[in-house]
This record gives sequence, C-alpha cells and structure tokens, in this order.
Amino acid sequence: MQLKRLLSAGACLIGLLTSVAASAQVAEFAPRATVFIEPSKTSKLLVINPSAELSVTPTDWLEVHGGYEADIVSGATESLKGGRLSPVDIVSSATHFKDTRHQVTGGFGLTRDNTKLSATYSYGTENDYRSNAFAVQSGTTFLQKDTELTLAYGRGFDRVCTTNFAESDSPSVKAPLDSSKGCFTKAVERASRKVDLDNFQTGWTQTWTPVFTTQLVLYGALQHGFLENPYRGVVIAPAGDQALENHPDNRLRLAVALRGKYYVRPLKIAFSLGTRLYRDTWDILGQTYELEAERYMTPDLRLMAHGRYYTQTGALFWSDDYTGGEPHDGPRGQYWTGDRELSPLSSYMLGGRFVFKRNGDPSNRIAHVMLGFETSFSVDLLKTSLRDFTWGGTKPDDTLAGIVSLGVRGQF
Amino acid sequence: MLKLAFFVFLLSLASCVTVRPEQRAVLADPTMQFDNDPGDGAARDHVLENREGSSGGTSVKGGGCGCN
Repeated sequence: MQLKRLLSAGACLIGLLTSVAASAQVAEFAPRATVFIEPSKTSKLLVINPSAELSVTPTDWLEVHGGYEADIVSGATESLKGGRLSPVDIVSSATHFKDTRHQVTGGFGLTRDNTKLSATYSYGTENDYRSNAFAVQSGTTFLQKDTELTLAYGRGFDRVCTTNFAESDSPSVKAPLDSSKGCFTKAVERASRKVDLDNFQTGWTQTWTPVFTTQLVLYGALQHGFLENPYRGVVIAPAGDQALENHPDNRLRLAVALRGKYYVRPLKIAFSLGTRLYRDTWDILGQTYELEAERYMTPDLRLMAHGRYYTQTGALFWSDDYTGGEPHDGPRGQYWTGDRELSPLSSYMLGGRFVFKRNGDPSNRIAHVMLGFETSFSVDLLKTSLRDFTWGGTKPDDTLAGIVSLGVRGQF
Repeated sequence: MLKLAFFVFLLSLASCVTVRPEQRAVLADPTMQFDNDPGDGAARDHVLENREGSSGGTSVKGGGCGCN
C-alpha cells in the first residue's frame, strides 16, 4: 500500500516535471546505479542502489527537480552481540534478511544574481522505517565572486518499528525485533518510535589564486529519539541474559572539514587534500584524511584517483563484552550497544573514477538530442580494521567491501 | 570568541584577494570544483555513514569559478 502510494506520487512528480520540461530551456536526467558488496562467510551484505533524478530549468531563476532511489538490501547479520566472554554462540545467530527502501524527492531552487535558495522534501519507506525530511539551503557569492558562503538546514521526522515495550520498562527487559512482520500495522506486538533529526551545515569556499581554492565546512546535528538498532540484542549478564541495545536518547554531532584544491600546471593535475575532525556527545572522536588527484586523459575523458584514511575512538559506553569486570570486559555506565560503528576502528579507502563529458549547443546537439552528456564510472575498495570488536571472541571477516557506481547525466 | 575572531580575520584576508575573470579558466574546470560528481560522492558518503561513527562535513558544491 505504501509502495503504491509512493509510486503514484513519483509518477505525479515525473508527470509534472515532464510537462514543465516541455517548455523548459534545459532539462537534465541523471540515472545512476551503485552496488555495495561486503563478502563474508557468515554475514555477507549486498546493497543495490538504483536512482534517477530529473531537473528542469524553465526560466533563468527557477529550477525544479524530482528523484527516486531505492536501497535493495540482502544478506545476513548477527542479531546478537556478545564479546569474548559470552556464554552464547553468537556467530550461529546470524540471520538472513531482505529489505528494500524506497525514497522519493522533490524540490526547487531559486537563483537571483549572486544568490541561490533551494528547498527539498523527501519521503522514504521500508518495512521497518519511515522518514519525512525537508532541507533548505542558501548560498551567495561576493568579493568579486572569489568568496562563496552556503548555509543549510535539514529536519527529519522519522519513525522506526520496534517491539511493543513500554517506555517505562527497564532497558534490561526490552526485547529486539525478530522480523519486520507487523511493522506499521495495528499488530499489538509492534510499536513505532520517533527519531528526530536536525542538521546544520555552513560552507565557505574561497578562491585564493587562479589555481588554488579552499573550502571550510562546519557541521552540526542533533539526534533525538530511538537511536538503537531495533533488531540487535546484547548479552548483558554472565548467565547469558539478553536485551535490546540501549543507547542514549540524544546525540549531538559536530564536524569541521577543511579542503584545498591546487592545480599543478606542469603536470596538468588538480590535487585535492582534505581533512575532517568529528566529535560527538557519545565521546567518539573521528579524524579523516583524504588525497585526490584528477587529470584529463583526452579532452573528453578525465581520470580521478583518491585515497582516504579514517580513524575513530569508541563511544564512551562501548564495550566488546558487558559480562565481565571493568574496565575492558564489563559495563560502561548505564548503556550497552552491539554496534561496531561505535567501537574503536580505522579504515582505508582506495578508488578511482572515469568521467566522460561532452558538451553540445542548441545548434549542434549530441546525437541530435542532447545539449550535454556525461557518464562516470567509479570503483572503491574499503578496508576496515576493527581494533576491539568481536563476535563472541571471533574477529569479523566482513571487513573488506567494494563499491561500484555507474552514472549517466544528459541535458536536453 | 577567539575562534570567531580568527574566522573574521580569515574572511577579511579573503577580501584582499581578487582573481580576474580572464584568470579563471583553470578554476572553472570541473577538476577544480568541490563535489564535482555529486551522485558519485553521495553514493560513497551513504556507504561510509553506515560504516563509521562519524558523519557530516562532506563537501558542499562550489569551487572558485564564479565566471557567470
């Protein structure tokens, strides 16, 4: 029912955009497909992400856009977290699952002289999650267009499906979901919990010389509500007692990123160097370092290669095992988690991208149809090193992942 | 307060810089734009946000062109 409503809304949006496009100066269509693969003996994961976006510019100052994307997820995951002292067989608790997330997006942008304003709304649905979100962004250039400032705000009104426990229940008796069956229906054994998301971001892009430009980004986010994985249980007592993950209801996240791009004329290569520092109230401190180089192989074809290193500390309440004694194998305060993304980890990413781009003009269209055409193909490998995380004392084997993405963009 | 003063200082420093329109050929090229393939970047960020405890601060569109 939800999917039908979503598809009809998407069809309406595409119909509207197509009718506007008939009189538009430029219409742009951009389909893309991304595949994420994480091989493993017990908990492999495959995510296929098709998406398409259509935007039209009926006048110089107005742009209208709409889009659709899906995450088709299949694989297996351990539904119970225990550490090296766990009395429960964790690895055999891996369960197979399939789910699909659908998301439709629509919005508009206004441009006036050196100023832009845009607004976007998106609705997402999957078996166990619903999201409604809007975002507004404004940007302006000044100082001879050498300086650009942007300001963005996003608000999410999400709901997640859980078992039907009472808020007043002790966290130690709350049970995780065993499946999404009955979610967002009147089933008495299911309930839905709010997740409120506020995101703020501001960016300052500055040109310093004809070959050097920088960007500073400040980011802040507030999350409030049910922030646990509703499926994941954690072993919390030496006797093997289990309970649903128990995270704090609030999380404040802050990040500052600085990037620079420098074009080396003798090499004809644009180099990019970037760093990001992240901190949140769960006491995760993250550092990211990125290096990128891009150059033209032919006038239409360019190649980009990049590397990324990331490291983080664990959340204050993260422990590989909550059944032993402090400090290493026991409780850390009143919360518990089985989320490996909250554990101390580092990761390396290496990848590359080809982009083929050709521009036409109204009197000389590409294939008699397009004003412009662009296609990109990228491959990335991500290797994660989990410093302390184990499944019942066994290091996870799903720490090498591949991302392949193919996109096309046509202007009409 | 000190951070704000430093930010204002950097911004005022920026006002001393002027790159003339005829010097913008390199800056206008896609290779010098931040987030020059938003679809590809968004797909990668989507994966990373689900694999790490951090999020945000990713690149915003923009570069040093300003040529029209």
